[in-house]
Amino acid sequence: MSIKLAVIQFPGSNCDLDTIHVLNNVIGVEANLIWHNHFKEAEFDGCVLPGGFSFGDYLRSGIIAAHSPALDEARIMLKDGRPIIGICNGFQILTEAQFLPGALLRNDSLKFICKWVNIKVENNETAFTSKMKIGDVLAIPIAHGEGRYYTDNLKELEENNQIVFRYTTESGDITEEANPNGSMENIAGVCNLEQNCLGLMPHPERASEAIISPKGTTHGKLFFESMIEFIKRRIS
Amino acid sequence: MPKVDVDGDEMDVDLTKREIKEIKVLLEREPSITEWAMFDVMHSEHCSYKSSRPKLKLFEDAEANYDYVLAGPGEDAGVIDIGDGYCLAFRIESHNHPSAIEPYHGAATGIGGIIRDILCMGVRPIALMDPLRFGTLKDNPHSQWLFKYVVKGIADYGNCTGIPTIGGEVEFDKSFESNCLVNVACIGLGTIEDFKHAPSKAYNPGDYVILMGGSTGRDGIHGVTFASRTLTEMSEADRPAVQIGDPFTKKMIIEATLEAVKTGYVRGLKDLGGGGLSCALSELTGDGGTGASIDMSKIFTREPGMNSFEIMLSESQERMAFIVKPEGLEKVLEVFRKFETPHAVIGRTDDSKVLKIYDGDIAVVNLPATALTDAPTIPREEKRPDYLNVLLAQKTPNPTMELEEIIYKLIASENICSKEWVYRQYDHEVGVRSVVKCGDADSGVLRIIGTDKYIAASVGVNSKHCFLDPYEGAKGGLVETCGNVIANGAKPMAMVNCCNFGNPEQAESFWFFSQAVKGMADFCQELRIPIVGGNVSFYNEDEVTNTLIKPAPVIMIVGIIESQENIITLPFKKAGNDILLIGETKSELGGSEYHSVIYDLEGGIPPKVNDNKIKAIWDLVAELYKEKLVKANHDVNKGGFIITIAEMCFKNKLGADLDLIECFDDSLRDDEILFSESVGRFIIETDPKDYNKILEITKKHNVDVKKIGVLISNPQIMIKSIKGKDLKLDISKMKKLYDATIPNLMET
Repeated sequence: MSIKLAVIQFPGSNCDLDTIHVLNNVIGVEANLIWHNHFKEAEFDGCVLPGGFSFGDYLRSGIIAAHSPALDEARIMLKDGRPIIGICNGFQILTEAQFLPGALLRNDSLKFICKWVNIKVENNETAFTSKMKIGDVLAIPIAHGEGRYYTDNLKELEENNQIVFRYTTESGDITEEANPNGSMENIAGVCNLEQNCLGLMPHPERASEAIISPKGTTHGKLFFESMIEFIKRRIS
Repeated sequence: MPKVDVDGDEMDVDLTKREIKEIKVLLEREPSITEWAMFDVMHSEHCSYKSSRPKLKLFEDAEANYDYVLAGPGEDAGVIDIGDGYCLAFRIESHNHPSAIEPYHGAATGIGGIIRDILCMGVRPIALMDPLRFGTLKDNPHSQWLFKYVVKGIADYGNCTGIPTIGGEVEFDKSFESNCLVNVACIGLGTIEDFKHAPSKAYNPGDYVILMGGSTGRDGIHGVTFASRTLTEMSEADRPAVQIGDPFTKKMIIEATLEAVKTGYVRGLKDLGGGGLSCALSELTGDGGTGASIDMSKIFTREPGMNSFEIMLSESQERMAFIVKPEGLEKVLEVFRKFETPHAVIGRTDDSKVLKIYDGDIAVVNLPATALTDAPTIPREEKRPDYLNVLLAQKTPNPTMELEEIIYKLIASENICSKEWVYRQYDHEVGVRSVVKCGDADSGVLRIIGTDKYIAASVGVNSKHCFLDPYEGAKGGLVETCGNVIANGAKPMAMVNCCNFGNPEQAESFWFFSQAVKGMADFCQELRIPIVGGNVSFYNEDEVTNTLIKPAPVIMIVGIIESQENIITLPFKKAGNDILLIGETKSELGGSEYHSVIYDLEGGIPPKVNDNKIKAIWDLVAELYKEKLVKANHDVNKGGFIITIAEMCFKNKLGADLDLIECFDDSLRDDEILFSESVGRFIIETDPKDYNKILEITKKHNVDVKKIGVLISNPQIMIKSIKGKDLKLDISKMKKLYDATIPNLMET
């Protein structure tokens, strides 16, 4: 059985085509660009909520998209245990739709920030991190104005191993300088309790090809390869 | 301002008496109020280029003279064929006056406008670049305010639309204090097929006219007329003439437009910018040799009760006009419905060659389609300002401080220091095409996915040089921007420009424009670079303080790099390698950063361009690249080659051991050698084992190449100077100064 993924296109998504490119041409998996209110979960083995400014980020980042029929479909997928990843604006949508805990606030610099950062793997048991090792440091870019992670339930997240990535230095140290946006405890990505849903601010699709990585790394591929591996294990 | 009579009332129009008379003769009647307003807008400097057109004739016909040029000047954007079935569209234009009054929305809508210009060529906008000019920041809250919000306006708009901002340029000079310059450039990529589907004319009678996108509101009425005047104390009152941008709607328009073009049923496409519907409809029909009947009641407005005058003149953002084949109407409308972009079929084209706009049964506009687009030109006087002789005669004082101290001051100066504060706010990665990261190269480099071809693009000009000698300065701008893409391994393919000047009605202002145009035309003809588009922004002066901006003929160059292995970046790579200076260093300190930062001096002799020598240098660099002999390359720019070398040392924390005694005789002073801004020079890194081979190639091209030093692992620049004592500079100190200037000014 062949694997089929959906990249959901909301009005205002702008990393949708980039994600499709990486999935189709770099990872080599079938991925379809699906307009948000055309999305039918039953046709897909997993889905990606790409980055961008869904609905112009009006009202609050991700809040309008969180009410799209696509999220009702995705909720079925989530309960069924299929993998869902939200990247950047996708992460904001997933927190607004309460697939994931916490919220993304305005960067502490009050500015949009675009730069390559390092994140450390804290949990490699999720649907998107099985190809990584705990403690691995990944080079990956961020590009957001509202990526400061906040939660009221930090302890719970830590106990449940839901913190998947933290911003670190190149050598893996969790420092204030390595935190680009003021996120609580340097948190860059979190997952749900069942570990089949991941949200993160950095962009794996921008870190999957050596030619566009400053140091020639392709750490972003690991996310999608892990996702495929997870699906294969589920199917078999 | 002249007045015309409309039904017994007087109306102000920005037309000359001759224009008013000719319009009445042409129509054989009194125009309606809406028609007067349309003539007013379409004959404004902004739309008609009435002062500049006679000079712009100097630019040769790119479409006729270069086989790869698909669209040249006069189109919404220049388009070139880059092989493999792809084409590139690009354009640069100004949004100076709106940004000077309301920096955030002024800059944002500038981005919005330039994106539409590219989009209406039928291709996807894939990159933005922004050359910006402000007053100096230090102790100047007004300049800081403009700078902060212009950058934020660009960032918020560009980031949201998902188009990366891959580069730009910032100059600070007190002449731009009130009248900042905000130029915006965009590059689009598509197939030649897509481009052919979207001509900006309605050439077939019987097609539908669809207006798609934002609603028509009362904002921006008379925006172009406002742009065709100088800034005065009254300008604050013009703030309602600045449009409000909506990047989300723009994003939807981009996707809906591209998908509509893909249906194959679109026969013409035009964006609504300056002049609004008046401009778009008259250009579509006038250029297409057709006419059209438009039903005004079909145009969706933001508020009820707008009259025909307001509707035709509105410059509300985010609107596109489509000319659609009758058999494809439903298919195109389906696309718009999917993206939920507001749209309306507002009329049909016909063969009448008359543009008719109906308000119910009454034709409120009934004009020959070409009447609006055939604006007369106005010959302008030009005169070289006498004060230039005084400026050119200024001599470089003898340095009163240590050269080290001067270099540290220069690296921290506003025009030379790092612009990271700016580009960190721009998403420069979206699109997954950005091969070279901001700060690592002289130009932005994008891959064309699916090929081994790369686009390199650069924008800029040195306004201080242009002020002293606009002819040489404009040429210098070309040398610099071409040098930027050449340094990255590209061949310059085509140029577009944005001419920012003062009031053309004043002979001295107009002289600067005229000279700059001549400089660009001469250089491009000599070096075989097609000029495929341009934009002119006049009236950039502040009447209150009587300040004229320094002339800024901003140039954008787009080049192509064949194959990834030919991409060269700026940072020095390895200790032990040679540092070569290509090109001649002359006593050319006029308009240099050294003069302005250290002595507060504007004058002196600015750099001159020798076309033949530049050509020889470019040929040499091309051959060195072909032979794979270059490890790093950076063109020499503001502050002279010592600054160039420092910038190349930063990233990999290397140092340089320079010996000037070996390379220069004592006809030049140490400060002249170090800080001269002679144009056309490069600093390259090469392997010492290739040195003899390089010398051989150099001889063949008859270019001045000097080995001025070697790279060392110790992060210091050591200089054996000719007359003074030896110098030692600390790279980490330089880097700190380089990085700190703008954050210190903007974040405290």
